This record gives sequence, C-alpha cells and structure tokens, in this order.
Amino acid sequence: MTTIVRIARKELTDLVRDGRFRVGAAVIGSLLVVSLGAGWMQVRDARAHLDAAQATARDHWESQGEKNPHSAAHYGIYAFKPRLALSFVDHGVDPYTGTSVWLEAHRQNDFLMRPAQDASSAQRFGTLTAAGVLQHLVPLLIILIAFGAMAGEREQGTLRQLLATGVGRRELLAGKALGISAALALLVVPAAILGATALLVGSGATGSLAARGAVLVVVYLAYFGAFIGLTLAVSAWAPSSRAALVTLLGIWVVNGLVAPRVAVDLSSALHPAPTAFEFSRTIDEQMATGVRDILPPDREAITQALLTEHGVDQVEDLPVNLSGITLQASEEFGDRIFDLNYGQLWDTFERQSRVHETLAVAAPLLAVRALSMGLAGTDVEQHRHFAAAAETYRRDLMRQMNGDLAQNSRTGEQYLAGDELWASVPPLEYDAPELAWVLGNRALSIAMLLLWFLGAMVAAVLSVRRTRVA
Amino acid sequence: MHTMTDESRETVAKPEARADGAVLEARGLGKAYGDTRALVDLDLRVERGEVYCLLGPNGAGKTTTINLFLGFIAPTDGQAFVASLDVATHDRETKRHLAYIPEQVMLYGNLTGLENLDYFAALSGKHPGPGRLREILEEAGLQSDAVERRVSGYSKGMRQKVGIAIAIAKEADALLLDEPTSGLDPKASNEFSALLGRLRDRGVAILMATHDLFRAKETGTRVGIMREGRLVSEMATSEIGHADLERVYLERMGDS
Repeated sequence: MTTIVRIARKELTDLVRDGRFRVGAAVIGSLLVVSLGAGWMQVRDARAHLDAAQATARDHWESQGEKNPHSAAHYGIYAFKPRLALSFVDHGVDPYTGTSVWLEAHRQNDFLMRPAQDASSAQRFGTLTAAGVLQHLVPLLIILIAFGAMAGEREQGTLRQLLATGVGRRELLAGKALGISAALALLVVPAAILGATALLVGSGATGSLAARGAVLVVVYLAYFGAFIGLTLAVSAWAPSSRAALVTLLGIWVVNGLVAPRVAVDLSSALHPAPTAFEFSRTIDEQMATGVRDILPPDREAITQALLTEHGVDQVEDLPVNLSGITLQASEEFGDRIFDLNYGQLWDTFERQSRVHETLAVAAPLLAVRALSMGLAGTDVEQHRHFAAAAETYRRDLMRQMNGDLAQNSRTGEQYLAGDELWASVPPLEYDAPELAWVLGNRALSIAMLLLWFLGAMVAAVLSVRRTRVA
Repeated sequence: MHTMTDESRETVAKPEARADGAVLEARGLGKAYGDTRALVDLDLRVERGEVYCLLGPNGAGKTTTINLFLGFIAPTDGQAFVASLDVATHDRETKRHLAYIPEQVMLYGNLTGLENLDYFAALSGKHPGPGRLREILEEAGLQSDAVERRVSGYSKGMRQKVGIAIAIAKEADALLLDEPTSGLDPKASNEFSALLGRLRDRGVAILMATHDLFRAKETGTRVGIMREGRLVSEMATSEIGHADLERVYLERMGDS
C-alpha cells in the first residue's frame, strides 16, 4: 500500500467516524436522491404529456376535414421539443423558454408551456434539482469536511508529528485529496448509479445519451476536484482552521450566489435583449412596412410577371392560383423579417451566454452550469437548435400548403383540399445535436473548468509547500 | 510486504549512522528571527546510547534546537546533522532516523490507539503487523483494554505512551523529546523515564528538552543548560548530584 493510499485510508476512516460528515452526507445525499427522483418523474410525466399532446395535435391536423390549404396553414400545428432523458439532472432554461411552439401561417411564434409561468411565487425559491445539489451543496459539504484538513492538523499539532515521520508534503496532500474524494464517493457514487439506472429505465438510452452522461459525470468530478484542491489550498494557507472556514465560505458565496447574479446583470448590460413587447412590436412594424432591403411583396409585379410568363391577359386564365403564389411570396418576406429579428435575438442570448462562460474565470459554477445544461440538452443553444428545426418545418409546411393551392386550383376558384394532403405532411422529426456539437459550443466552459481544476491543484501544492509547522 | 512507497525512499539508500559517532550533531547552529536571536552558535553532539537533556527556561532555545533537527525551520547559521547527514539538504532522509515526541502527543481522536500507531508506523515505512503493534503498545505501558479504544478518550499519559510506542515502532536512531513529561503525574513520569532508559540501552540517541531538573538528572547521561539561545553549561550527570545541578542551573540563570 503506498503512503498516499495509507493517508487516504486514514482520512476516510476519520471522516466516516466523524458525526458531522455523516449528518452532512446524509442530508445532502437525501436531497440528491430526492432531486434525482423528482426530476426523473417530472421528465417522465412531461414526456408522456408531450407524447399525448403531439399525438392529439397530429390527429387534429389530419382530421381537420376539407378546407382551403391556406386555412389549414392558419389552423396550424403544434411542435413539441423532445426532452432528453438527461434533462432530469438539469432542467436548465426549459422552465423559462418553454417546450412547445404553435406553427402557423405568417408567424414565427414564441414557445409555450413554460413551467416557470405556472409556478407559484413560493416555488420560485424552492426548486430542487440534482444540478442544484451538485453545483451548490456538494461543494459546501467538501468545504465543511475539508477546511481543517491542513489547518486543523497544524492547530492540533499532528502536522508536526506527521512530517516528523518523513512523509512528504505532497504525499500528504495527495493522500488527503484522495481520502476526501473517497468520502465524497460514498455520497456521489450511489447517486450516480441511481441516475444511470434512471437513465436506462427512463427511455431507451442511446449511445449518444450514454456518452453525454459519461461526460456529465466527468464534468462534475472535475468540479468537485477543483473544490477539493481549492479547499486544501486554503486550509494549508490559512493561519487557522477558523480563518480557512471563513475564507472558504466566502468563496462558496461568491461562487454560488454572487457570481451568477453578476453574470446575469453584466451580460444583460453588455448585450441587452429587447423585452417581449418591444420584440413583438418591432416585428409587427417591419411586417407592415419592411425594413432596409426586406420589403413586402409587390402583388402587382408578381401578377404581371405571371401573366407574362404564361402569355395570358387575365389572372383567371393563369394555369396556377395567383393567391397561392402571392401567399408564398408573403411567407418568404415574413421569413426574412423573422430571420433578421430572431437571429439578432438568439445572437444576443448567445453573447450573454458567452459572458457567463467568461466570468467562470472567477467562479467555476458558471462553467459547470453551462456544461451541465448543455449535456442535459437544456441550454439556450439547444433551445435555438430546436427552434430552428421547428421553424424550418413550419416553412416547409407553408410552402407545401401554398404550393398545393397554387398548383391544384385556379385564381378565384373555391378550392378545398382533403385528408390526403394533410396526411402527406410528414411529422416533425427532430434529432438533438450530437455530443461533439455540444462540446464545441461549450469549449470556453471546458477550458475554464480545466483551468480551475489545474489551478486549484497547483495552488494546493504551493500552499502545502509553504505551510509552516514551527 | 511492500514497505517503501515514496520514490525517493526507494532510490536513496538508508545512510547508516556512524557506529562510534554522533547521531545528532549541531555545528555553530543558529537561528534568528529578524533582530531576535533564538539560538546562537550551538555546538552539540549526542551519541548512541546517550540521553542529552537540554535544560532552560522558556525562550532559552530548546524547542528551536529540536525544530532545527527536525527540519521544521531553516537555520540562519551553522548546520544540524542527523546520522552525519545535513538536515538542510537531506530533509526527508534525516527524518527516517528520527522519532519525535512533543510536549503533548497529538493523535487522531476518531482512531484507536492501535490505529494511530499503525498509521504513524506505516508513514515511517514500518509495517510490523497488528500483533507486533499490540506488543509495542504494551511495551510502552498502554493498558491492553485501551488499545482498541478511540484516542479521544485517552488521558495525556496514555497519549504519551502511544507517542513513545510510535518511536519504538519506527526503530529510529535518535529520539527528540520536547518537554515530554510536562503535565504527567509522578507515576506516569517515572514510567516514561523507564521507557527512555530502555530505548537508551538499545543504543538510541536521545535529545530531550525539559524544565524538569530532577528528571534530567535521573534520565540523562549529559545535561546542557541553555539561556537566551546559548548553551551556557554542559556536564555529565554521573559527575554531579541533584543539589549541584540545581545550584549550577540557578547560577547560570543568574538567580544566585
């Protein structure tokens, strides 16, 4: 048995026999299990509701009876963002962005079904997620069990006796880090097994999902590792265990409470997003008058071009329905307006997201939070990914409806399409982005987390080297 | 059984102490904190089978001397040698030859006496096994029913016994003691002195800082009196009686 493992084994024994650790681990372990269970049930229920709603929406679409295709386009259809099974760990922005969108003619709509809208004011302060426990409470437990790891040994006098045995300081540090990690594993490993089981039971875990889950585990291990390193560094550096505890609690408050708040305010100040009212009003105005080189379609010019193209004098003689052509032109004009405004809005959100990731240099929580949401499929970028897929589907749907109207009827004719047309519209098939796409989006957070992990280890080594024993 | 774990321990051969030389030696050793000189030009030799007692009031430089031999502080002048190795340049190797018992032996309260001994012995590179560890604890005077009890319930005397058991298990060439009998009742002090005697008979070089003139005379083979960081007097205990030692001590302290 190596010296490091021997030290680790003693640390583990010491911690496990410590009532403070047992109580802390029991409380946080229970919260973790409860949050995982609650999250799993919530995702299971949400998926069941979405499946039912999707089936109902499809049924309504296919059984809407005979009507003009453009009326069917206005009748519209709902698209539902599928929830990744891993979202039971981290709900991310889903409660605020919503998970369904109504796809209709002339309009790119906002998402609906936002749980945050339905939450009572009390619920806003009481949401318990596994991500919250892992990001906030586990670091607190690390601090509470390890703040005295070095400072306490020095105060009690055991550090002198330890070093007098000839054990190296780095060996001591590594042994303590390993022992604390082992104690933490008693809490985290059962939770991870529970989570993996939930994932398997939840919904046919795919290889991609398993890869996301594995990376998620690595991300949280790196986060905990950074906190263990940081705690040992402060414990070795601080003049007393009390000073170490106060310093570490200060770091915990900055990491978990101050930095996220500052990130929100700073990102909003640097990259302000319009209010929902402003955004809607801008689109309405631009749809009415156009903007820059995006102008409303010229119905007269389209008519003349068609007449010329087909060598006829009257629209009634055209082999196509002029309404279908102009409606599609109107759609394409609207699409450009939506692309402009939604593009700017999403870009703003992503710039805000980058500010959060950059500020992770001051708080590792911001990095791990971004990675956690990304891997759970609940971040802004994946919301945008689905929104783009839904919008593409809407445009294809409108093109099909307007095309059917244009090609299968004449101008002025009362044309009605039937079930065959509705059934020919394929359902929205959405594939969540691959892991590489997620990690590519989160490269900055990965770098920040790595920086914290390595930085904390280096700080711990330097602090332990300088620890005075006499 | 694999006993050496650290790479440096694997590769650096254990330097043997000179059979006829000093296990502990200070040459012009000094330590200053700014303008305050805690230890001045100390020359000292402690050989195998010798118990050298450093006497002196608080601030005389006794603990500083021990800290310098342990490498816990760096000297500002001179050198400290353990087994002919300079502590400043062979920090970890010299510790392999040393055992250390402070005024209050601090142990891990959540571990039993046996577990504490096993831990410290293992860190010293010794793995005697549970049976031998029990024997060592009993040799150190710890009651057998206390061996498996958590140390949080131990008295100071019991902790000191575990401390000396750690020193025995380490099989060190030299033992450094810093006021080891302070706070012990007379019976425990006598037992402690007897243990030191047995270690001395095994050839261990012992350097003990103490206030206790009686204990120094009873246990020591030589006595050094320190004052304000200087070794002001040195004598063999066989050549001096209790009363003489007290008189010399008081003279050196300027009290008579």
